[in-house]
Amino acid sequence: MPAEVFNPNPVVFSPTKGLGRKSELLAQSLWIDEPTSSDGEVDDVELIDQDEVFDLIRSIYDPEHPNTLEELRVVSAPQIKIEQNWVTVEFTPTVPHCGMSTLIGLCIRVRLLRSLPNRFKVDIFVKPGSHQSEHAVNKQLNDKERVAAALENPVLLDTVEQCLRDAGRRGLPII
Amino acid sequence: MYKVSAVAELPGHEDRAWAVAWNPAKSVLASCSADKSVRLYSYSTTTDGELKFVPVSSIPTGHTKTVRSIAWSPSGETLATGSFDSNIGIWEQENGAGEWECMTILEGHETECKGVAYSSTGTLLASCSRDKTVWVWEVHPDADFECLGVLMDHTQDVNATTHSHISPSPAQILASGSYDDTIKLYVDDPTEDWYCFSTLTGHGSTVWSLAWSPSGSYLASASDDKTVRIWKRTEEFKWESVLAISAHDRTVYSVSWGVGKPKEGGLGWLATAGGDGSVKIWELKEPEVTDVVAKNTPPEHRLIATLPSAHGVHDVNAVSWSRKTGMEDILATAGDDGATRIWKITP
Repeated sequence: MPAEVFNPNPVVFSPTKGLGRKSELLAQSLWIDEPTSSDGEVDDVELIDQDEVFDLIRSIYDPEHPNTLEELRVVSAPQIKIEQNWVTVEFTPTVPHCGMSTLIGLCIRVRLLRSLPNRFKVDIFVKPGSHQSEHAVNKQLNDKERVAAALENPVLLDTVEQCLRDAGRRGLPII
Repeated sequence: MYKVSAVAELPGHEDRAWAVAWNPAKSVLASCSADKSVRLYSYSTTTDGELKFVPVSSIPTGHTKTVRSIAWSPSGETLATGSFDSNIGIWEQENGAGEWECMTILEGHETECKGVAYSSTGTLLASCSRDKTVWVWEVHPDADFECLGVLMDHTQDVNATTHSHISPSPAQILASGSYDDTIKLYVDDPTEDWYCFSTLTGHGSTVWSLAWSPSGSYLASASDDKTVRIWKRTEEFKWESVLAISAHDRTVYSVSWGVGKPKEGGLGWLATAGGDGSVKIWELKEPEVTDVVAKNTPPEHRLIATLPSAHGVHDVNAVSWSRKTGMEDILATAGDDGATRIWKITP
């Protein structure tokens, strides 16, 4: 773990079940309000919405705290946009000088790379104005060559795996 | 308009294929991949006039990380591999026909080697890396390489290098494109060493790929800003941006400039490919000559063919024209699906 702690005292929010989720607010099935899939859509193409993507990333751990990205409000469903096969994920670093931002973004990217069907193209950005090196962070996160090289670095990959160790919880508490 | 027809699909790699290279002397095509291997395919024309490709061998390489780039020497005898393990491998066939052997490993880069390129004479090899440097190596007999210079002009990762195909007076030019959004041009000063004589700015993001026009008087660059730019030599040591084409919906990863089917005033065909999965073919012509033509008049360009989803839902990482006489309309692509595909451009 890094010697320097960028945000020693983050605000932790309790993840109220379904907080910020459109589907729970509507108290309906995840699929019911989706545009009809009958016209021309191939049946075996699974529809994926922002809540589904949020579920995939909400339980990723922050690299320097024992909390999930959801608990730190680094990620939220409204910050995820999907247009056809293009997914855009915006996240909010807890402090503007957060040196962990590229690592957090890398964890989100790896998680989505592994769990979304490969037809999806994913862009990841920090929330505008939330980071002092916004452009540099965004550029690095969306450069697939740098991402590919990072994942061949065993130390970095191990750190990512640690952050992703309970990502499959999808917001549910540890039993 | 033209159409792009599939000639062959060459699967094989177990992971993303990063680059593809036509052997300049033999009927062989090579591809490299994140699976750390190089795959070789030979091709021939059947009696029906159809092009047929068959896999001939695979080089495991021994690189410990992704093989990011490959380059053939002009003789077609030697293959260079650039890897994320920061090394460059030099490969030749035993007795010119047998197993592929590693002749030497060139060490020097501190981090990922992202590009390798031979000069058109085969006497020089250039390599570039995330360590921000471009190395120029002199090729000696018996796989002996001497580093002639380390060019440290870029401020970020260097993604691509290429030598000019021909030798415009007075010397060959080496070009490099970078994560710092610029392109640098270098020449060999006989009294000193290789030096950067020009920095080309204009792209709004990483420069991923470079290609000289067949005539050597233009340079094309592909960028993360989704455009392809055309740079023109307007004076001996002056290159200017003359054209920016909004080429793709996502990052343009690769550009290749072939002779195409030459027409009067034709500058050849430009092929571009990128993260939107499409391949596009552009015809370029010298500007119409009127009374006064400014030196920086852009060439005329026309999109003559579009191939959507060249590798299904996957990114297309590389595009390369065949240089063989009679095959100027043949194109190879490599994609995130690990496949190499061959295409023919037909009217």
